[in-house]
Amino acid sequence: MSTPETARSETVAGRPALPDESAGTRAWSTVRVVAAREIAVKLRDKAFLWTTAFMLLLVTAATVLPVLLSQRVPDLRVAVQGEAAVEVVGLAAELGAQAQDEPAVTSPLELLSIGGLPRADISWVTVDPGVDVQRLLHDEDVVAALLGDEPDGLRLVGLRDVPTELETLVTAAAGELQVAQAAHDGGLSPEQVTAITQPTPPQVELLEPRDEGTMPPELLALLFAFLFYLSVLTFGTSIAQSVVEEKQSRVVELLVAAVPVRWLLTGKVLGNTIMATAQVGVIVGAGLLGAVVAGQGSLVTQLVGSAGWFVLFFLLGFVMLSCLWAVGGSLASRVEELSSTTALMQILVIVPFFAAVLPIDEGTRTLLSYVPFTAPLLMPARIVLGTAEAWEPAVAAVAVLLTSAVFVWLGARLYAGSVLHTSGRLKAAQAWRGTD
Amino acid sequence: MDRELRLVGVSRAFGEHVALDEVSFTVRPGRTTGFIGANGAGKTTAMRIILGVLAPDAGRVEIGGRPLTLPVRARFGYMPEERGLYPKMKVADQLVYLGRVHGLDLATARRRTHELLEQLGLADRADDHLQTLSLGNQQRVQVAAALVHDPIALVLDEPFSGLDPLAIDAMGAQLRERAEAGVPVLFSSHQLELVERLCDDVVIIHEGRVVAAGDAGDLRAARAGRRYRVVVERPDGAPVPSPDLLATLTAAVPAATRVADPTAVRSGASATDEELAGVVVDLGPDGDEDALLAAALGAGRLREFAPVVPTLAEIFREAVR
Repeated sequence: MSTPETARSETVAGRPALPDESAGTRAWSTVRVVAAREIAVKLRDKAFLWTTAFMLLLVTAATVLPVLLSQRVPDLRVAVQGEAAVEVVGLAAELGAQAQDEPAVTSPLELLSIGGLPRADISWVTVDPGVDVQRLLHDEDVVAALLGDEPDGLRLVGLRDVPTELETLVTAAAGELQVAQAAHDGGLSPEQVTAITQPTPPQVELLEPRDEGTMPPELLALLFAFLFYLSVLTFGTSIAQSVVEEKQSRVVELLVAAVPVRWLLTGKVLGNTIMATAQVGVIVGAGLLGAVVAGQGSLVTQLVGSAGWFVLFFLLGFVMLSCLWAVGGSLASRVEELSSTTALMQILVIVPFFAAVLPIDEGTRTLLSYVPFTAPLLMPARIVLGTAEAWEPAVAAVAVLLTSAVFVWLGARLYAGSVLHTSGRLKAAQAWRGTD
Repeated sequence: MDRELRLVGVSRAFGEHVALDEVSFTVRPGRTTGFIGANGAGKTTAMRIILGVLAPDAGRVEIGGRPLTLPVRARFGYMPEERGLYPKMKVADQLVYLGRVHGLDLATARRRTHELLEQLGLADRADDHLQTLSLGNQQRVQVAAALVHDPIALVLDEPFSGLDPLAIDAMGAQLRERAEAGVPVLFSSHQLELVERLCDDVVIIHEGRVVAAGDAGDLRAARAGRRYRVVVERPDGAPVPSPDLLATLTAAVPAATRVADPTAVRSGASATDEELAGVVVDLGPDGDEDALLAAALGAGRLREFAPVVPTLAEIFREAVR
């Protein structure tokens, strides 16, 4: 009988023996090989690639488009007929020009907000009463025609529609002129007339002003929550599918004969964690790049500043849940059964997401930011909103980490107990006992 | 090096059902060992325990006298009863992957995959998805999956099921080649003629117990030595009917017992008079061959008195009866 050393150095059929490596080295190299396959499969998955491309497009559009839109000032040519009409268009053009001196709109929300006058370059041609205004409109020589001799008897005529900017500016100009006329008729002095038509608004003062051109923290928190939710759902499903596909195709018995079940599980979780992090990284990166290109430096600073905790909680939360998704996969025997075996995991993702995005009172929010399932969503949100003390994220992170450790252990045991059971659905309790 | 694979007192129960009851046998290097038993006899369970896919309740598996460790087991080649590879993965990619899971480095895994696909005539399908291959070709890839890491032992569960005769020959040649390279080869099969043709050693398992094990030739010879076929004619040339002949023989040699003649059994109702004429008797441990011969000679004109070498199929049928 030979010693272990000679056994290992022996060659069979001309093949060199395995290098003498420790179990640790071998575990790590196997985990890497398994993870690399998960990544390769994902990179060939067309649905995944399209989703990522679509999200990239969405993020880029969200950062770049508002800037591009706000920089575009419409050129509006108007036909004018009548004394009052000329006066109103003149004032409208003045107002449209004034609006361009105000700071550019820098965030999607500001673009959507109402208030202030639109920016526009208005030019006009005065037409005589005999001229056919309708023909000018049909020829698209002008975008609209303003007709009327009295400020309170004006008609704004368009072909199919009137540009919103024009309508708003003309309305404002006509209103201003009518008020001025009425005030003048009432015997007010020019100063009083000015006070009525151009009232001085209160001066707004902020104690802790947000940097110019940043995103509202609520929106940032929502964005983080959405990214986490989407990632866990996408890659959790992906892990569960990968597990059940190996069961369904029976290849799992070959794998389990070659390596311990835990190494397989670790490889799957690692591969998908890398892909999830990379996807989030690419999407956030595209957002940052878009912001840089659009010249929104302060948005970049804001994003980079709050991304650290988000990434940490993202990783912890992802690993915590991904082992459970693997269990969900191993409890099913066919892909069709996944939706029922992963129901619990879906709830564990969806409920925290709504807890994070729906308005809830501050006490509950603080409490939930320590509960391991909701912490990965709510603690980064509280950090962004500035309602968390410096030590709070660390405590929550430790809580998530401990839960992760428990779930990894639990997941590994359930996975090992069920992964070889290839016929029919399993109950978690059966998996716990082992199914043989 | 001693590469002998040995099961020692392996037991395993699933709930109330005892699948293996103190199973011990040896798979010798350089030889092919056929593992035969009825459905549910425990073949798959035993193979899964060898591969560590299942844990035994008692007993152990050894190679070269040492318990199997993880790194050693990872170098085994295995073909599970439930076949399966990744349907949507390219043939070459999955062989490389499985090779790497078994501990090969990337370059070696690629080289071995290439060599095997050449050998198996699948080189032109290397970049096709497995699911596009015919079932026969998928089976060949499955064989490649068991061989890609140049295993130090081969455990194959029903490797011949679903193969056409040509593929069976090719598979048989593969097993033979591995065995001659010094690898212990264990395979199970229901096709007893095939096992007979391909095996050096046989392990027969019945209801979780090993009922016969050892060199196939020895097993047959051991039973052949005490079994005789006797045909006697009357003076008029007509054969002595079997019941009469048997009565004569057992009267002279009480230890002799009749063995259902496989030929007659197989022919069934269409058995001819001549076939019915002869008898096959087992002498048992105490029977006297000379006394049996004398009795046969006394019964009439002796036409045939010959030792019968049972086929493996016969040994199996008797062993599990």
